[in-house]
Amino acid sequence: MTGTGTDTETSATSLPEFSPLGLPLDWTWLKGAKSEWGVRPKPGPRGLTMSDIAVGSYGEVPDEASARTMAPRGGDRDLDLPDLGYLLNRKSEVWADNVVELYEEAVARQWSATRDIPWNELQELPDDVEHAMCQLCTMLTEVEMVAADLPAKWLWRMNHDYLETKMFLGTQIMDEGRHTEVFRKRALSNGGGLLKSRRAVEDLLRTILQAKTYTQASALLHLLGEGFVLDIFRQGELISPTHVEKKIFRMAMQDEARHVAYGTMHIRYEIEHDPDVAEEIHEALDSGEQVLMQFGLNPDMTSALAVLLAGGTEHVEEKGFPLLQQLLGKMMTSYLARCERAGLHRLERTLIPFEMFGIDREQVAVR
Amino acid sequence: MNETTVTKVDSSEFFEALGADMARRVEEYRVLGDCNMDLGIEMQRHDGEPFRIVLHFEGLESPQVIVADPGSDMPLADCKLEGPLDAWEEMIADIRANGSATGLQTLNSLTLIGDRIQVIGGDTMGVDRFFRYNQTLQAYFDGAATL
Repeated sequence: MTGTGTDTETSATSLPEFSPLGLPLDWTWLKGAKSEWGVRPKPGPRGLTMSDIAVGSYGEVPDEASARTMAPRGGDRDLDLPDLGYLLNRKSEVWADNVVELYEEAVARQWSATRDIPWNELQELPDDVEHAMCQLCTMLTEVEMVAADLPAKWLWRMNHDYLETKMFLGTQIMDEGRHTEVFRKRALSNGGGLLKSRRAVEDLLRTILQAKTYTQASALLHLLGEGFVLDIFRQGELISPTHVEKKIFRMAMQDEARHVAYGTMHIRYEIEHDPDVAEEIHEALDSGEQVLMQFGLNPDMTSALAVLLAGGTEHVEEKGFPLLQQLLGKMMTSYLARCERAGLHRLERTLIPFEMFGIDREQVAVR
Repeated sequence: MNETTVTKVDSSEFFEALGADMARRVEEYRVLGDCNMDLGIEMQRHDGEPFRIVLHFEGLESPQVIVADPGSDMPLADCKLEGPLDAWEEMIADIRANGSATGLQTLNSLTLIGDRIQVIGGDTMGVDRFFRYNQTLQAYFDGAATL
């Protein structure tokens, strides 16, 4: 592009008023739209990122959306654009300071459950270990898609001025589809098959899906549910019987950590800009934590994890369950640390039975 | 296999060599995607003088290795991996013996158990970067198999 605004305006005066079909033409986009003329964000070493183009009026993300349309920020708009009915029209309701970075990261770090896992290197495992891995994968393939369904439920309600959040949640939906796929494939590919589903799992999914506001939904999904699953993935990598499962869990862990990072910083942003919302989040977590405990301590998952931690059923009591208890304790302290980072002080309020996991509540408070 | 074998784990040369290996295998890293973080490494030597570096990862470039001056604090990082030199040497020995880290010797497993090597950070968001880029970090350390 080499022209100047003045040159364009001069040359546009001689443009036709009608098309060859006889239809009226409008050249105001050529004559009038000069406010961003000359803006040329420079690509960085990684290419042209969403951060790079966040300049000028386009780069200004309003605290209150100016309209409920899909027209991009920074552009000119007709005055009679239809109302698309968005419900989340305040930045604080959806935004996180790291969301642009996380979107670029998600795009750069997509992977394929078909291509990037060395499926042909799976090994035959002892029956008890294979069954345990399949039970864990059954539970994971059951729960992962909720983290796609829930953002999908809220995406169309988010104002288009906050497109970066919508784009990030689009990557999350893709991630969760892939997680559902990869754990299903693992369960079905080595002789064990899909195993048992339980009510406690579905109760957790229902609680998350039925959250009344996006604020509560994000707290329940990103902070509580995905934070817990992130730690399950970390344990999964630890207990994987072969390098194939290790890679599955590591790749899924990376994705899940992005979702948790968004949720943590979103909740923080929202509380900073609207402190009253903290109580709404606390109420959601009060009930969510109870359901999560039923899910996390359900007899199938705990026994499967314990068998994997023990390397089989033989040492499950003296090795598997004690190690599991230790790891569950770490999960709870990780969750509380994320709540603190999000601006939520849960320690005094939570009903999580820390004593069950051998955790001294006062020591957690000191940390 | 390189012409020169780098055996001393607590040295900047070791991490520079891992970076050179990363540069040779950049297409494998491209599949994993960009990595943007500062990862601190602290190895406690037997003589009490710790070896401290920060690996500055950016995109697909080999990380810049920033060595802390003896006696000074660890340079700022998103988080750090800290443990006795013996634990680091065992991890690298496992990688060299098996071509990549196995069993409990992966970065995630070691730090999840946390009794030998810990992941530490003042900000949980910084620690979460260790999880967000874990496969890249593991691939970087697995490069020790080629040194």
